[in-house]
Amino acid sequence: MYIQSAYAVSPQGSFNELLESSAQYRGDRLTCKEPDYSKYIDPKLIRRMSRIIKMGAAAAMECLQQANVSMPDVITTGTAYGCLADTDQFLTRMVEFKEELLSPTAFIQSTHNTVGAQIALMLKCHHYNNTYVHRGSSFEAALTDAIGLIGEGEAKTALVGGVDEIIEKSHAILSRFDLYKKDGDTANLIGDPGKGTMAGEGAAFFLLNSQREAGCLAKLEAFQNWYKPSVPVTTLVANFLKRHQVPAGSIDLLITGANGDARYNSLYEAVQQSVLSAVPAITYKQFCGEYPTSAAFALWMAAMIVSTGRVPGAAEPAAPKRVLVFNNYKQLYPSLYLLSAC
Amino acid sequence: MENKQELVQRLKEQIIKQLKLEDKKPEDIGDHDPMFVEGLGLDSIDALELIVLLQQEYNIKLKSAEEGQDVFRSIDTMADYILEHEGK
Repeated sequence: MYIQSAYAVSPQGSFNELLESSAQYRGDRLTCKEPDYSKYIDPKLIRRMSRIIKMGAAAAMECLQQANVSMPDVITTGTAYGCLADTDQFLTRMVEFKEELLSPTAFIQSTHNTVGAQIALMLKCHHYNNTYVHRGSSFEAALTDAIGLIGEGEAKTALVGGVDEIIEKSHAILSRFDLYKKDGDTANLIGDPGKGTMAGEGAAFFLLNSQREAGCLAKLEAFQNWYKPSVPVTTLVANFLKRHQVPAGSIDLLITGANGDARYNSLYEAVQQSVLSAVPAITYKQFCGEYPTSAAFALWMAAMIVSTGRVPGAAEPAAPKRVLVFNNYKQLYPSLYLLSAC
Repeated sequence: MENKQELVQRLKEQIIKQLKLEDKKPEDIGDHDPMFVEGLGLDSIDALELIVLLQQEYNIKLKSAEEGQDVFRSIDTMADYILEHEGK
């Protein structure tokens, strides 16, 4: 299984910007740097799209353009929150106008599958299209589906994405749960001794291919995710490596989902101090923030690292050939992605 | 009651706002330009938005969806319909 191309709309402008000078944020959240959507989307369509739809559609279109693929065999999308802005608008009007005079556009676009559906409409793609809404394993479910279809020979190419947005209301509600630092700083987020993290958002899409094509970014050697596993995460990681016959020493870089909340550091530290004790490690949530589908950003970053041989935050090019991504959203949804250079 | 010219101008502003026609200004829309397919290039979802606009701003409910084909032919026909039905 190969990642032929990948693109992320994220709080970082591009991978080059991430390498040269990553965008820094203060406060309790990170916000996406949005591209010029007119490059990707017909102006007649843009006017109706909310921000998350534009972000997802642009990421998908750029991904397809880079892969020189106009019609993927499969489109799968993962999102925990769906199209929040449209949902907010629709529900607010329901209250304000006493369930009358509702905007059809906000209603139509409030469903979670709007991003995947809009991509299909833009491509005039009538192929398999599914959206997964499974909280912290939404992107993983979309990826599992695509891998399965390619593995069974049902598809050669699959466009897979993970998208989630922050809106004011959702952020205000989530902030009540004491999830975020009030005066966070991405420059010092990881390793901060306090509780809470910084909220994030993003849209990342990947074009998976059953075969290695020219320009391929990375090989997706293995992937697995769990929900509330009954064994410690160190055992999960050890078993994963054993199952795929990967010696820990062959991994050049570990990317962890540590998010700066001191309450949850121990699980990542346990892996770094035991199974993968000799493997250099970096984190990614200081670049994108914490959100349920952030592993899609991590997978994009990992693919770019093995493709370019360059690591954000590293002074010298380390040129890692094999990278393991380990995220454990809310300590409930561990996931592992093993990538290697093509 | 405002005169028809004032109503036409206000309708153009409301349609631009409701349908998020951000690249349009009221003066870009001709009073007799077709609103659908050609002209403004609106579609069936926009027609639903226009029905909501009529109800919300002018308290006018269309009798049937078919009626909309004539009412929403142009800004001019829409203004005529509003003048005829407003306050009834």
